[in-house]
Amino acid sequence: MRMLRSITLCLLAGAAGYGQALDLKNLDKLAEKASDKVVVTLDGSLIKMASKFLSADDPEEAKVRKLVAGLKGIYVKTFEFEKEGEYSESDIAAIRKQLDSGWSRIVDVQSKKDGENAEIYLKTGSADGGLAILCAGAKQLTIVNIVGKIDLDELSELGGNMGVPKIEVEKTKPPKKDD
Amino acid sequence: MSYLEDELKKALRRAEPSAGFAERVLARANGPAPAEPSWWERLAVLVRPPRMQWVALSLIVSIMVPVAGVQYRKERQARAEGQRAKEQLVFAVRMAGNRLHRVQQKVLEMGRMDTRL
Repeated sequence: MRMLRSITLCLLAGAAGYGQALDLKNLDKLAEKASDKVVVTLDGSLIKMASKFLSADDPEEAKVRKLVAGLKGIYVKTFEFEKEGEYSESDIAAIRKQLDSGWSRIVDVQSKKDGENAEIYLKTGSADGGLAILCAGAKQLTIVNIVGKIDLDELSELGGNMGVPKIEVEKTKPPKKDD
Repeated sequence: MSYLEDELKKALRRAEPSAGFAERVLARANGPAPAEPSWWERLAVLVRPPRMQWVALSLIVSIMVPVAGVQYRKERQARAEGQRAKEQLVFAVRMAGNRLHRVQQKVLEMGRMDTRL
């Protein structure tokens, strides 16, 4: 089990993603139930145009510019609900079905503590590359789909700066045999 | 004599000048020469465009000003769209990175718990 986690962690930290655009239209019906929603749809041409406006002098914007170079699409859909149970597994079944073929799930975290499940998929067998992140909580649902090759380590680093402090892993010494 | 000859004689008959004519001519001839135009007056004459050029210039300006205005508006609109796209891009990258980071944290936390066990 530990080995599996280490492998996925390594993949998560350093792998370059591979994938393709997912059809997220079936999630639109959740917009009516959601108290808050965020939808970002950026295709390749929009990313190119937006990149031109990213400043090379701003360190964060420069990082984003480097990271998104060559990407063919970024699609984000986030829904927040007032109550639990506003969406069901059937709502995301269509997306899971798309992820069944041609995608490889590299991380699957199911947390009973906070009731949030998170999955990370990488597109396999495609030169274009792609990444899909599916985070399903009791009151929140987030789907991220990135089309094109992306450095996951750099992406995570940028996300770590978004008001979420980076947690340093506590290096625990292995228990001694005589303990 | 014919009628034509009579008419010619009448028209070409000698006539005396008005009084003081000779004096006036002599006074004008001996008077000072008219003032030379200054250099800028000569330059102004050189560069003064004829009326047709003014008309053409007005036409060009009346076409160019609206075209430039439309171009400027288009450019401003494109810039605004670009800025909006940039904000969306930064947000999307941050959001994707944040979700990835959270998953990474969870995996790390679970690994840490495992190690402690």
